[in-house]
Amino acid sequence: MLALDGLGYRYPGSAAPAVRDVDLTVAPGELVLLTGPTGCGKSTVLRLAAGLLGRHGSGVVAGSVRVAGRDPKDVAPAERVRSVGFVAQNPSRQVITGTLADEVGFAMESAGFGRAAIEARVPELLADVGLAAYSPDRSPRALSGGELQRLMVAAARSAGAGLLVLDEPLAHLDPEGAATLTRRLREVADAGVAVLLVEHRLGPTLPVCDRVVVMDAGTTVAQFPAASPDAALLRRLGLRIPGQTATATAPPVDPGRLLLDARGLEFTWPGADALALRDVSVSVRAGEQIAILGPNGSGKSTLLGALLGGRSTSVAKHGRGVRVPQDPDLALFSASVRAELEYGPREARRPDVGAVADRAAAALSVEALADRAPQALSRGQRLRVAVAAALACEPDVLALDEPTSGQDHDQVERMMTALPSPDRALLFATHDEDLARRHATRVWRLDGGRLVLDRPAGDAFGEAG
Amino acid sequence: MDPRTRLFLVACVGLLAVSLDRPGSLGLLCFVCLLPLCALRISAAWWRRGALAIAAVVWATLLSQGLFYRALPRVPLVELGPIVVWKEGVFWGLVQSLRFVATILAGIALAVSTPPDRLHAALLRLGVPFTLSFLAATALRTVPDAARTVVVVRAARAERGRPVWRRSPWAWLRLEVSLLRPVVAESLRRARALAESLDARGFSAGAPRAVARPLRFAAWEIPVLAVAATITLTAVGMRLLFALYTAEALYIPALRPLYGFIRRSL
Repeated sequence: MLALDGLGYRYPGSAAPAVRDVDLTVAPGELVLLTGPTGCGKSTVLRLAAGLLGRHGSGVVAGSVRVAGRDPKDVAPAERVRSVGFVAQNPSRQVITGTLADEVGFAMESAGFGRAAIEARVPELLADVGLAAYSPDRSPRALSGGELQRLMVAAARSAGAGLLVLDEPLAHLDPEGAATLTRRLREVADAGVAVLLVEHRLGPTLPVCDRVVVMDAGTTVAQFPAASPDAALLRRLGLRIPGQTATATAPPVDPGRLLLDARGLEFTWPGADALALRDVSVSVRAGEQIAILGPNGSGKSTLLGALLGGRSTSVAKHGRGVRVPQDPDLALFSASVRAELEYGPREARRPDVGAVADRAAAALSVEALADRAPQALSRGQRLRVAVAAALACEPDVLALDEPTSGQDHDQVERMMTALPSPDRALLFATHDEDLARRHATRVWRLDGGRLVLDRPAGDAFGEAG
Repeated sequence: MDPRTRLFLVACVGLLAVSLDRPGSLGLLCFVCLLPLCALRISAAWWRRGALAIAAVVWATLLSQGLFYRALPRVPLVELGPIVVWKEGVFWGLVQSLRFVATILAGIALAVSTPPDRLHAALLRLGVPFTLSFLAATALRTVPDAARTVVVVRAARAERGRPVWRRSPWAWLRLEVSLLRPVVAESLRRARALAESLDARGFSAGAPRAVARPLRFAAWEIPVLAVAATITLTAVGMRLLFALYTAEALYIPALRPLYGFIRRSL
């Protein structure tokens, strides 16, 4: 169904190709995982396969792409949608319309299907991805992240595409959402569709895949059956090795002074009926590294906001807190990385602004980026700069909201090992339980806005098995 | 309510806003436009921001018209040396700002209460080309996203620095401009992601499309439309009649009481 032969691509203005000599095939009914470290060119390959790159601008394509015998970039969009469907990383950014029915029907409308055919097919597709319980008139924005990504799969398939390509569709999903989506993808492949999946998270994907293709530095370096992965290669490339569950390696700490104390904290979003946080009582002490776990929508980000950013009388603050938002780009507003790092100490009227900024830059290894514009950096670099800028404020509590999204294992590890300090508490909201095992000394688990677990990490993961 | 009804009501408000000329009648129009907003669940913070923005618009319009009013006759309201605020200018500024406020309130009520896809469908049914109606609906959809982005950016900045007002006006202005950087970058990323999603799902501006979902008026909407149309057409008609009279193009002696009513009340 898909055949890439010696595929290469050089972006406009770039001297070196982003990908080169990529050979890859995906047969109908096959689910192939394309993986590799951040920035190795996986997404570029995927977009070339979907016919989304190389049609406009002055990028240079080498080699060939064939989807059902034709190059998708030479096919009109209305026709291409019948052969290849594409799902990107962030589901909320892919939503085009205002209802589930319109979202699923959009590609069919483009392809010229009649109203009767669309109205008949939409409920089937919603049922296929486990969304039959919802009204077709429901807004996509009312779905959880996992449900929304499944909706995107239905939308990508609706015009009958025989090839489905997905770019890190699990990046924003909790473990349950990720497991449900990968099961659905297996069912899609079993129905005869060729599926090419780009993903860092090997744990939920390897069990459902047929084959793994590994990329590094812009080219394919290995491929093997998913049932017998090359663990040494994956580890060398900084990818998470499935089946290797880390024990709690963060050493226990003697908690220092009290920094935050919340008693009976409740929070309701404006215009919402339900409480987003219910009767949450927690305390944070210096030296603690606290992982906040829980499914999508359980209130992790809301809790970070209420503890650090809110003005609730239920929270007693005995130190300064700084958050790095889920989208770290929104914390970068200066013209250069240097100015970004100096903003906090300058605002605090520190006499040693330069030295504080230098220490923060060194901690996150962003010294070489000092003169670059933060918004022009790669995603991983932007996250590191945002965290360094927060560190430069020398906060008593540093909070990271989903620091692993779109980052490979090695990058996250390097960042997380730089953050602990006996004088500072670290809070991080994450879906990644392995990350919590490695870096948390305490675990809070939320469900439906309630704190259902507050234990030392060793106890918490010991109990979970 | 069918989105076509909403669009029609907003159009009626626009026509009434340019037809009415008295602060009382325009104030009544503003009040009517405020009612649907009261029925929506808008947070106190957004009410405060909205009230502040509207107060700024009214104040700026009153002041500018008061200062720069040139028509004669004019009567000084306040004299501060060479600076004179003219009474007629303030009155005219009040009329202009109320027109603006009425149309803005109606537009906000439409934007907040109507999902962009319904607006898109309504525009299509009203004969607007797909590309234009899709463009309008997509632009409308970006407003809440951009507002959320601004809130996150400001919160992230606030945690790293002093309150914005604790600096010179120039430094404040520079900071506010710099905060636009992530908002613009985020908007571009969103636009790029949406464009890719559209491309991947076969959207092409020039290509014909099937439109799957029909729209239907509820029975009670017909009388609402009829009443709104009658009021609007009557007001517009009376204003035209009055304009012909003041331009000395058409004068009907039997309509003198009507001319008086229009002058006093509309």
